[in-house]
Amino acid sequence: MSQETQPSDIGQYPEGDNLKHFIENRKRGGLVWRVSFQIATILAILALIALLYNIINGAFGYVAIQNKVDPNSLVLAMEENQMLSSSGTVSSEDDNELVDGIEGNPNAIGFFGYAYYNDNRDKLKAISVDGQAPSRETAESGDYPLARPLFIYSAADIMQENPAIGAFVDYYLTNVNSVIEDVGYFPISDDLLNEATTAWSAAAGEQADALQAYTANPAEVSDHDISISGSSTVYPLTRQLAIQFRRAGFQGGLDLQQTGTTAGFRAFCEDMTTGISNASRPINRAEIEACESNKRTPVEFRVGTDALAVVVSSENTFLENVTKDELRQIFTSAETWSEVNPDWPNEPIERFIPGADSGTLDFFAETVFDRQLEALTEPELIEILKANLSTGLLRRFDAEAPLVERSQPELVDLVLERVVEQQVVQSWELTESIFDRAEIEETVAAIPQGELQWRSWLTPAFLVTPQSSTPELAGIRTALFGTLWVIAITILVALPVGVGAAIYLEEYAIMVANPTLRRINAIIQTNINNLAGVPSIIYGILGLAIFVRAIEPITSGMLFGVSDPTTANGRTIISASLTLALLILPLIIINAQEAIRAVPNSLRQAGMGLGATRWQTIWSHVLPSAIPGILTGNILAMSRAIGETAPLVVIGASTFITVDPTGPFSKFTVLPIQIYQWTSRPQAEFRNIAAAAIIVLLILLLTLNASAVLLRNRYSRRLS
Amino acid sequence: MAVGASSRPEVTSQTDVDIKTQLRKHPRVGETLIETFLFVCGAVSILTTIGIVFVLAKESLLFFTSGGVSLTEFFTGTVWQPAIGKFGIWALMNATFMVTTIAMVVALPLGLAVAIYLSEYASLRVRSILKPVLEVLAGIPTVVYGYFALTLMTPVLREIFGDDVVQIYNTAAAGIVVGILILPLVSSMAEDALSAVPDSLRQAAFGLGATKLETATRIVLPAATSGIAAAFIVAISRAIGETMIVAIAAGAGPNFTFNPFNAAETMTGHIVRISGGDLSYDSIDYNSIFAIGLVLFCITLVLNIISRYVVAHFREEYE
Repeated sequence: MSQETQPSDIGQYPEGDNLKHFIENRKRGGLVWRVSFQIATILAILALIALLYNIINGAFGYVAIQNKVDPNSLVLAMEENQMLSSSGTVSSEDDNELVDGIEGNPNAIGFFGYAYYNDNRDKLKAISVDGQAPSRETAESGDYPLARPLFIYSAADIMQENPAIGAFVDYYLTNVNSVIEDVGYFPISDDLLNEATTAWSAAAGEQADALQAYTANPAEVSDHDISISGSSTVYPLTRQLAIQFRRAGFQGGLDLQQTGTTAGFRAFCEDMTTGISNASRPINRAEIEACESNKRTPVEFRVGTDALAVVVSSENTFLENVTKDELRQIFTSAETWSEVNPDWPNEPIERFIPGADSGTLDFFAETVFDRQLEALTEPELIEILKANLSTGLLRRFDAEAPLVERSQPELVDLVLERVVEQQVVQSWELTESIFDRAEIEETVAAIPQGELQWRSWLTPAFLVTPQSSTPELAGIRTALFGTLWVIAITILVALPVGVGAAIYLEEYAIMVANPTLRRINAIIQTNINNLAGVPSIIYGILGLAIFVRAIEPITSGMLFGVSDPTTANGRTIISASLTLALLILPLIIINAQEAIRAVPNSLRQAGMGLGATRWQTIWSHVLPSAIPGILTGNILAMSRAIGETAPLVVIGASTFITVDPTGPFSKFTVLPIQIYQWTSRPQAEFRNIAAAAIIVLLILLLTLNASAVLLRNRYSRRLS
Repeated sequence: MAVGASSRPEVTSQTDVDIKTQLRKHPRVGETLIETFLFVCGAVSILTTIGIVFVLAKESLLFFTSGGVSLTEFFTGTVWQPAIGKFGIWALMNATFMVTTIAMVVALPLGLAVAIYLSEYASLRVRSILKPVLEVLAGIPTVVYGYFALTLMTPVLREIFGDDVVQIYNTAAAGIVVGILILPLVSSMAEDALSAVPDSLRQAAFGLGATKLETATRIVLPAATSGIAAAFIVAISRAIGETMIVAIAAGAGPNFTFNPFNAAETMTGHIVRISGGDLSYDSIDYNSIFAIGLVLFCITLVLNIISRYVVAHFREEYE
């Protein structure tokens, strides 16, 4: 009957295939929405992952380090100094003095260029090092440890554009072997010389013939200039050849400088101010890349070999071979021969070495000692510090912690920080470091003295060093202490007041008969709920007006005569704590109320029934049962307070202090403020330490929250 | 026996007197003191509110009377430049609303979807994993979100839309991240509201042949409207009051713009920047933050009251 009266409704119900479609549509719709709900959830999780990833990403990664001072040169200088200052050492720039000293003295030892030894073969004896006797062959092959190859570098396009350079290189290769022994080095074998000549022909290309013509008659290329710099070892050789080249008729400008191999390559590859570079080591990959980025392909010409001879008097009978380690002892600490090797006589060692200004001494120290800064002993490190720091600074460090009592790693750090002055010039994030390695290496290669280093910005040192304006030296010690002080006082204030308010609202307010008071109680309850929704920055404004300003005599400690003499204003730990206490009060009250409400009424009735007063019931029965809940709420409120930033910025937390807070009336900074400050800085390195500080903050909060969860799980069973 | 009978009344009368005096209502100083102390604890919250209102009102009054800023100028102006005496709150308010709007666009649909998924679809195991994840998200300090906005969200936006379109500081990145920040709040409050709907309603819907989606959207959702609306309003209030994200990522200078890719300073961001470090008392800057604070306080208070009103008056009661 009713079906017939509502035909329109019946018509809407599908039948047969329509019904199938209808049902499928509904199913499909359901599926689509279900998937979209899931996607939304996944997005939320992704947000968390992205957040954490971003922090980890910032806290670890490669950094480019630049040293103001090369640590190797420090080690070298220290070692040379040790050699020169050991007793029984005679040093002279004049090799003849050395020869005179060693000659006829069986206990004497010394070293100088091989060529010089060659002239005095009758009086002296060269000894083997690590089993290799010095000779032209062992030196050239590199087997003799105290030998090194000598090179000059140029490039094809330079030689083609500047015929003077092309011709000079050719002249160099043609004549080097006739002068090299005069200069004091080993000539290279014919094979190597042929190789160099072939390289020259290839680089000169079509112009080879023309250039060779100029070599025969340098005057024709006098309208071009030659500019050379680089190794001071190769310098005398190049100088000799340059003089001859001029004598042969070259009239153009000839600028020859000795700057050291590395600086020479820099001038050659990066600044492109020279056409030829002298070198006492092969060019390295970074330097080749720097050259190529300037469209220069360096061509290497081996021109000779430098070797030192370790010599004793021909009357010396016990010394035939020494190891590098023995050499080191002989030339530094050992006083008698038997100290180094028991088979040797118990006679004092008399040392004859070249002077401090000679490259020979550098070379000897570099090769024989070959030590990294990290490998030095404590006294050696202290020696470096003494040699490079002002006495005032030294006295300060000594006062902080006596240098002699510091551990080796501490001293290394101090040397790196104060003498080497390592600086992070660029930093990369974790993902960049992993995926763009090649690009990063290229960038670092372009940085003079740059070094690529893996760095975790979160280190134990980061936790215990105070703030610094250099990001790599900055730490969060001050901020951690600040956070601890602020939170401790906050809890000390907020916990009793909050729990008290909760007890009042739950246990007393309900019993009140007086209508006015009832009204007030209702207002208190509503008010607490409203306060929970007030933005935290408003509390900051309140704190600024009341705690920092209105009651400044109290919060600055002046009233008690304990104010911090450097500031003496109200922007102190106590102001921050009171502000945060007000901020978390509603949270503590609401949580505590819930915990108290959860205590079964039978407990109260039993207590009262036995004649306990209300307070006795609360104190002995209600509170003990509610304590776990109250504590959980308290911990959550605490973690809220630890993470709060805005109100503390408003009441004026210090942005830069390096002194630990000493009490409630100290100025302060806290972890979140540090993070905010560092994040706001434009330099990438500050972002890195902000990320590291965030990790510390999050670990702190996670620990707190986990303990809250544990507490809840542990006691909730007993309560129910 | 007689002796015993004669002696017993004596004893009884003595004890009676004792008990009577003991039971007679008499002032217990300790108890009263404790009750008073507890009442004072409760009253601290009232004092806080009074303090906030008093401080904001007093300093704002100073701002309007001494600074030469008129109320109309303050509430209608779009230029905030203390240096030339221009204090138009809209320059700041506009940025606040932009950030809030963007945050809502992110947080409301996502939060609601997460809530529906958690309460209507997810298995117990999935819930036990997801809820802690959301709790962790909610427990992360806002300054960390600020770092996230500046170092990840902004570069991503710049990658997508181009460096010349998106400025380094912009309200879009800040807004999106504020949205992520309040997402757990929305989802957990909305989920509470959805879970509060009795199962009998769902069972009835299923019994009538409704699909899961139909049950969720046509039965459960309408039944939980008041709770969800309250969640939204609280979320808006939270977004307006959010400080550190906007202070770090939105921009450091009042700018009246509707372009989400431009830098603009919100009310909270301005307060933080102006007060960061040292602020000299009785300067116009010092007074101005109280005026902004008052506006902020009023907006959030009204929103919170509305949300509570919505819950109380539009709640669908079952059982």
